[in-house]
Amino acid sequence: MWSEITKKLQETVQNIMPQVEAVIGWERGFNEIRIKPVVIKKEGDISKLVWNPFCVQNLSGYLVKSPAVIPREGRRVAICVKGCDSRSVTALIQEGFLKRDQIFIIGIPCSGTVDWRKVMKRLERSSVIHRAEIKDGRLMVEHAEGVEEIPLREILLRRCLRCVYPNPTVSDVVIGETVSPHIEKEDLYKDVEAFERKSLDERRKFWAETLSRCIRCYACRNACPLCICQDWCIAERRDPKWVTQKPTLKDILLFHGIHALHLAGRCTECGECERVCPMEIPVMFIKEKLNETTLRLFSYEAGIDSNLVPPLLTFNPHETGI
Amino acid sequence: MEEREKTKNNTEMRILGFLCNWCSYGGADTAGVSRLKQPTDLRIIRIPCTGRMDPLFAFKALISGADGVLVSGCHPKDCHYSVGNLYARRRFEVLKDFLPFLGIESDRFHYTWVSASEGQRWQEVVTEFSRRIHELGRNPGFDMNTNLVNSEAR
Repeated sequence: MWSEITKKLQETVQNIMPQVEAVIGWERGFNEIRIKPVVIKKEGDISKLVWNPFCVQNLSGYLVKSPAVIPREGRRVAICVKGCDSRSVTALIQEGFLKRDQIFIIGIPCSGTVDWRKVMKRLERSSVIHRAEIKDGRLMVEHAEGVEEIPLREILLRRCLRCVYPNPTVSDVVIGETVSPHIEKEDLYKDVEAFERKSLDERRKFWAETLSRCIRCYACRNACPLCICQDWCIAERRDPKWVTQKPTLKDILLFHGIHALHLAGRCTECGECERVCPMEIPVMFIKEKLNETTLRLFSYEAGIDSNLVPPLLTFNPHETGI
Repeated sequence: MEEREKTKNNTEMRILGFLCNWCSYGGADTAGVSRLKQPTDLRIIRIPCTGRMDPLFAFKALISGADGVLVSGCHPKDCHYSVGNLYARRRFEVLKDFLPFLGIESDRFHYTWVSASEGQRWQEVVTEFSRRIHELGRNPGFDMNTNLVNSEAR
């Protein structure tokens, strides 16, 4: 099934290659469960492209963050997107970082991507993977010490288990069949609601404990396609000085506050922050709360309609009760 | 808990007030000129407009141990810069909803509108907010200056 979609993807890219500057996609990494991003500029490299549930990366950041793939005059850049990634692309168009006619979007409906860390935890001591295959909702891994069969649901990323937009919301061409979402839209913020039923002390304790693991590597910020300040990020500037270099909880909390509040009403919940966190901190959970708030107060979801303005970048004089 | 009881009535709290230059700062001045009695817990910071107020100002103050943050500006549609406070109130609403998620009482943050002539109203706002903060007690905050590298948490 995956090889068919990969083949179709390669054919599509072959056809559009003359009109585009480059194609951003995924290629095999050092083993079958590790996929890495690839930028294809010549026809000979098209065979590198793959699609399967290990293609975890959200590639839309490559359109705006250095080293960005910049479209030249009259030539477009093609990008492969899953459902969640397509929302990031829309959000970038909404905020004026991209023009829709500069990009060619290859949409791929996605039934969930695999967290390689969860797979490795199942394999325990064995770390060398010879072959991996996904069939009928199960992952078969041939590794150094035998064969392991794991149901796919147990190794999906948390963001995929709560995905409501598995199909691209914007695309020039769609490859593969439409898939149905994992959960209903009403259940999207049930984790947030459950957390909010705890007492304030418990919540404070949870964050103090969880965030004390943070090593402030800023990977969450770097992976975020909408965190576009880069060298101007106030978390790293001396003037104005917001965050010090001291390894204290206050500085960690402040950094996460900056990241989350700068994304309030903009975050598309692609979950990249959480996926790249080396300390396995549920970073996206903070943003989920802010998204729940903006949905409730402004009935707004980021990255769905490119004509809307994010709620905190605009105002409504007639609002009452706010 | 004992600490909280003690601070309820006697000790001064650390409350930050961000006031817009054109209305609320004038309103506070009017209250002062009129010799209206006000609680002394509030430290005022003058900002050009509530639109200048980054929610992170309040966020940083609260996680750093401030007991309360009060923001006040011109009434909606009376902003010196026309729309600054309209942007601001959306941000404040989001912040107010966000704080309890991290375990900070949302009552510690309050925003309101006071015009330059409303000295009386300013007195009421400050008195009420200070009372509320005294009731909440000291902000327990986070164990701020723990050096995580050397602590057992790691």
